[in-house]
Amino acid sequence: MSRTISIEPVTRIEGHARISLQLGDEGEVEDARFHLTQFRGFEKFCEGRPYREMPALTARTCGICPVSHLLASNKACDHLLSVSIPPTGEHLRRIMNLAQFTQSHALSFFHLSSPDLLFGWDADPATRNIFGVMREHPDLAKDGIRLRQIGQTIIEMLGGKKIHPTWVVPGGVNEPLTLEKRDAMLKLLPEGLEIARRTYDFFKTLVPKFKHEADHFGTLPTMFLSLVTPQGNLEHYDGLLRIKDAKGRIVEDMVPPEDYERIIGEAVEDFSYMKFPYYKPQGYPKGIYRVGPLARLNNAQACGTPYADVALAEFHMLQESGPIASSFHYHYARLVEIIYAIEMMERLLKDPTILDTRVRARARSNRAEGIGVSEAPRGTLIHHYRIDDEGLITWVNLIIATGHNNLAMNQAIRQVAEAYVDGKHLQEGMLNRVEAVIRCFDPCLSCASHAFGQMPLWIELKNASGQVIDTLTRSTECHR
Amino acid sequence: MKILIIGYGSPIRGDDALGPLVADRLEQDGVPADVAVIARHILTAELVADLAVVDQAIFLDAAVDLEPGAVRCQPLIPTTSPASSMAHFLDPRELLGWCAALYGHAPDSVLITGGGASFDYADYRLSPGGEMTLTAMLAQARRLIHAHVALSRSGAIL
Repeated sequence: MSRTISIEPVTRIEGHARISLQLGDEGEVEDARFHLTQFRGFEKFCEGRPYREMPALTARTCGICPVSHLLASNKACDHLLSVSIPPTGEHLRRIMNLAQFTQSHALSFFHLSSPDLLFGWDADPATRNIFGVMREHPDLAKDGIRLRQIGQTIIEMLGGKKIHPTWVVPGGVNEPLTLEKRDAMLKLLPEGLEIARRTYDFFKTLVPKFKHEADHFGTLPTMFLSLVTPQGNLEHYDGLLRIKDAKGRIVEDMVPPEDYERIIGEAVEDFSYMKFPYYKPQGYPKGIYRVGPLARLNNAQACGTPYADVALAEFHMLQESGPIASSFHYHYARLVEIIYAIEMMERLLKDPTILDTRVRARARSNRAEGIGVSEAPRGTLIHHYRIDDEGLITWVNLIIATGHNNLAMNQAIRQVAEAYVDGKHLQEGMLNRVEAVIRCFDPCLSCASHAFGQMPLWIELKNASGQVIDTLTRSTECHR
Repeated sequence: MKILIIGYGSPIRGDDALGPLVADRLEQDGVPADVAVIARHILTAELVADLAVVDQAIFLDAAVDLEPGAVRCQPLIPTTSPASSMAHFLDPRELLGWCAALYGHAPDSVLITGGGASFDYADYRLSPGGEMTLTAMLAQARRLIHAHVALSRSGAIL
């Protein structure tokens, strides 16, 4: 008898999501789906607003990483102005982005994923949570908080203490950096780098323990999309689009971000409010690709900073050849990127031109269509606007990092479910792995997501007529 | 005695901006040297480090279950049971729980909430009812600050 397992909520997320597993007669997993069940509609309600409001409006898409939307939106507005922003303005924007990477990746690794990584997926949920981490690994938990604090402090030093900084503006930034602030930021970075390297070294010792998970946590033959520098190196703010296939062959390279529609199509499915972007030349759903830290490192020839380059070389050794296929290694890639972000911030801040006072180009709108692309912590972020003669928005398209990974997340869930879920006898650890594969992608659903520790999971097995034949609830204990 | 004031809420959801707006106003009007003020959209993990180095924390938030103009002041007890609906942001009691678990102590803390009237879109702008609440929350926060400062100066053991 076929049955459906529904995991809802997937995590304690504001963007409501659900996982459904379709089981066959023998309890084997036949299909798995990741459903985003909340609709927001930013693209629609931005219509009619002046384009200069877009950075502030779209920054509200996410309460955790508004910087990503702020940057992509301002880049789209730069395009509308048809200006090339002053180099110092660009570098200051880069620093803000890298500070955000530091704090965002730190949250994902230290506070959301570390309970699984430190205690194992089958550990008692009563201890497999952030408080367990604090109890057993207090220094690691403090390191995570300190890294977030360093990232947040730099963002505030640049953007001011306003919740949604208006410091980044179309054409650049609205205030140059002072010597005092520059020195204060530089003072924070050595400690940040020490924490990042220490954590990276520690994580490397854990990786061999998780071979089975690494082999089954979304180990998929997908393509990888990201920005790269014109030299093909790691890039987070600007650059050109590159797509590599599962074998490591470059199938698209040096694609100007403005041409994204040539290579990226968007599909919809009736079971989710999240779009399904795909690589257009291969069609849907064959054109599956991944974005984010894993994709960026797979696509980059080098990071361009000393410690991150060593870590990148070690990252590539996780697999005998080709791009790293396991989504489990998003965690590894995140730690490499934290190292890179701190090193790169230091380099940019030590360049004397960072104190240049020419930081903004001023212009009116000079074209009717603007596209801004940057890398958010979770992957490539695309803002695309059209305006009328009055500068009012007539059309918006946003492709959010998590959306790019939608096809891959669905396949990853299925793979994990097939490997671990026994439909005849549900156990909490099975469900935790299904969720954990989603955590690898660090998805940001509507505002943000993820969960750690004890999550109010409720699972039902229904028979074909909809009758509940088994349930499993995870709060403080499992009920069967 | 160090005091940390954290106002939080969404600045574009009408009176939900009460927390950050009260925090901003306190800072603009000036606070004693040992009082720090932070305004945030949501409460995030790094605030634990700020809480670890203060003796008293005052959280400011909007409430949907109070009439406009009404203010509630309640002590907060640290919790070690994740209570909020998201993992990216935390309930103030969770923040205090993290603080106690990691740093061995959490500051004495209170939550001042004030009734909002409208939570529709508005960019750092309160409804008339929200304005009334802002005034009342400011008065309540100032009373607490002054009480703590006076207590601290008197040399009383806290």
